[in-house]
Amino acid sequence: MSAVGAIVVVAVLVVATVVGLALRARSGKVRTTTGAASGWSLAHVTPEPDDRVLLLQLSSPICTPCRQTAAQLTELAAQRPGLRHVEIDVGDAPAAASELHVMRTPTTIAFARDGRELLRVSGVPRRRDLLEALDSELTGAG
Amino acid sequence: MPLDPRGVRFAAAVTTVVLALVLITGSGWLALAQAVVFALPAVFGMRWSPYGALFRLAVRPRLGPPAETEDAAPVRFSQTVGLVFTVVAAAGYLAGVPALGIVATAFALLAAFLNAAFGFCLGCEVYGLVTRFRAAGRPA
Repeated sequence: MSAVGAIVVVAVLVVATVVGLALRARSGKVRTTTGAASGWSLAHVTPEPDDRVLLLQLSSPICTPCRQTAAQLTELAAQRPGLRHVEIDVGDAPAAASELHVMRTPTTIAFARDGRELLRVSGVPRRRDLLEALDSELTGAG
Repeated sequence: MPLDPRGVRFAAAVTTVVLALVLITGSGWLALAQAVVFALPAVFGMRWSPYGALFRLAVRPRLGPPAETEDAAPVRFSQTVGLVFTVVAAAGYLAGVPALGIVATAFALLAAFLNAAFGFCLGCEVYGLVTRFRAAGRPA
């Protein structure tokens, strides 16, 4: 029996719980952000006349939540006019990832038609929150 | 071979219990046993994971097929990270440097608990970063 060891167990579990809860709170949450880079040019995409918002998803090849995110955003873009979804692999485009300061995948960044960064989501986005946050930009009221 | 994510969580939960027992008992031999458990899938592939086999035999038949699967490569990499920490821990305890054993086991326990309780795989995140930097260093 090690008293020190037992105390370390309790301390590690407390710290891990705090870290885990913080990660969970952040994952999928819509954060309003600004940035200098334009997603359209980084993605090598020219906006179509009807495109209002680009959802640029940064993924890596072996990443289960990236696949879930891609499926969700593809569906969303198909349903919602004006919304465009482009997925890029950070392995193929490390320059884009570093220019956008993305460390984790999947990270989804929304850009307005004029290239302004609107928001970011790390992890699988919460669908309703994302649509709500983009609503004014998509309807042209913003 | 794609993995059942529930099996990965199950294995992490068993690992969490074992590592907590290592810290409470201060047993270098138990740390070494856990190191062997990490070494098998790290060296031979995830099919060889003892806790994964336990999941397939005892737990999965009660659960049914998984809704989605997970890539094996990052999980296998995380087993290697666990192996390094538990080897250091076993060496510390068995060589009479318990402080080293405690610190190394504490880090392994942190990672195992984050995976078991929150589904967050620290080793997999590191794997993602490593593959990215490797890709960035590759001439275009």
